[in-house]
Amino acid sequence: MSENKHIVLELTEVSLSYHSARKTFDRGRHHVLKDVSMQLYDGETLGIIGRNGVGKTTLLQLIAGILAPTRGQVKMHSGKCASLLTLGLGFKPDLSGRDNALLSAMLQGSTRQQAISFLNDIKEFSELGDSFTEPVKNYSAGMRSRLAFTTALMTHVDVLLIDEILSVGDAHFRGKALAAMQSRITGEQTVVFVSHMADQVEKMCDRVIWLEDGHIVAEGDPGEVTSAYAESVARMNNDNVAK
Amino acid sequence: MPLLHYLRLIDIMARMGLRADATRFFLGYIWWILEPLLWVGIFYFVFVTIMGTRGPDFLMFLATGKLVFVWFSKSVTQASNSIIAAKGLVGKINVPKTLFPMAVVQEGVYRQAAVFVMLGIILIINGYTATATWWYLVPLMIVNYVVIVACAFVGACLVCLARDFAQIISLGMIFLMFTSGVFFDVRALDPEKTKLVLDLNPIAFLLDAYRQIMMYSTAPDMLHLLMIGLGFGVLLCAMVLFMRRRSQYLALRALSA
Repeated sequence: MSENKHIVLELTEVSLSYHSARKTFDRGRHHVLKDVSMQLYDGETLGIIGRNGVGKTTLLQLIAGILAPTRGQVKMHSGKCASLLTLGLGFKPDLSGRDNALLSAMLQGSTRQQAISFLNDIKEFSELGDSFTEPVKNYSAGMRSRLAFTTALMTHVDVLLIDEILSVGDAHFRGKALAAMQSRITGEQTVVFVSHMADQVEKMCDRVIWLEDGHIVAEGDPGEVTSAYAESVARMNNDNVAK
Repeated sequence: MPLLHYLRLIDIMARMGLRADATRFFLGYIWWILEPLLWVGIFYFVFVTIMGTRGPDFLMFLATGKLVFVWFSKSVTQASNSIIAAKGLVGKINVPKTLFPMAVVQEGVYRQAAVFVMLGIILIINGYTATATWWYLVPLMIVNYVVIVACAFVGACLVCLARDFAQIISLGMIFLMFTSGVFFDVRALDPEKTKLVLDLNPIAFLLDAYRQIMMYSTAPDMLHLLMIGLGFGVLLCAMVLFMRRRSQYLALRALSA
């Protein structure tokens, strides 16, 4: 089905590497992504799956225009914008949850008036109550991630990039967050969804890319790709046990 | 990002920074006034009570120099680390990188406004009069601001490229403090040396200009001031262009090192 749709975003042989301050690998050169090519179609939900540290977040940062590739090309369809939805948009711990939410919304492009109008919804959805006006440094980890998720939910963009976001809060809030996310995803919204959890990806995505060590190992039907990924993880665990 | 939104963000980030700062201390906003007063108190104790050789004129001379210099040194030092400090944000959203140093500089502007009012009051209490010459403070402060912003951008980029620059910048500030005539009068040197220091060190020129205006009711060399303003204005524009073009590169450096 994807083939008939418009391409919103195209990556052609994209590589990203950088020098670190200390010379460790390859004379201090880190290769995060190697020759990655992929397309994103209008309205689809694309999953990117892989273990920790294989370059998933970096790939999202390239798509969002936060980083530029060392080689290759990232082409966004003109007039479209992508935004990365991640937890904790650099909270200032001395400020209240309210101030932090206001700042986050404005950084994502809302005007001051719009941002202020979001505040009530944010307070309600996050269920923070009176703590909303307390400094964030007094928050528990769960409260912090509830605030972060809710603030992030307010962004309205053409391409939504989601980075490991659905592991927030307690079971009750997680269910609510998942439902809110799903209602955005099932609409016309184009989504790129990153996770290391195979079942989440299989449930939510139309198409899946499996990333390993900076390059694409497999791409296609969610069921096939995620089960191949799950097998490889299981194999790796068995090898470790055998050792 | 539209310019108006950019300016609003700078203002809001600066005010929130100030608020965060105030909540951290028991005395909160009182520190704005207390800190400069304590500086003057320390100078009084060291130079009048202990050394005893200098009169209240010297005290005012020191206070003017030090309080103006701190505006520059604090703003530039903090702004230099601002992009790195906002690493969490830089990795999640593609915003102009000038935003972070600008917000820090703006924080300094709000704080310095209180300091200048204090300084004016202290000077008047000590028998100096606010004459029409004091209007020269307006162009002087504008040029001072341009110098601060330009240096803040350079510092922020350098620290992104290598953290080591943060060390060099704070040492550089101490070097500047001793060479800009905070503790001595550049005009008391040999006339040749005076000219050399004022020509080579724009900070020394600015400090001297504040003293000339506020203590001796003398207009500063406006051509010299204009040249400094233009020079740093060009540097500022060049830095804005650089930071726009290499926004992603700066992000990578901030995230990876």
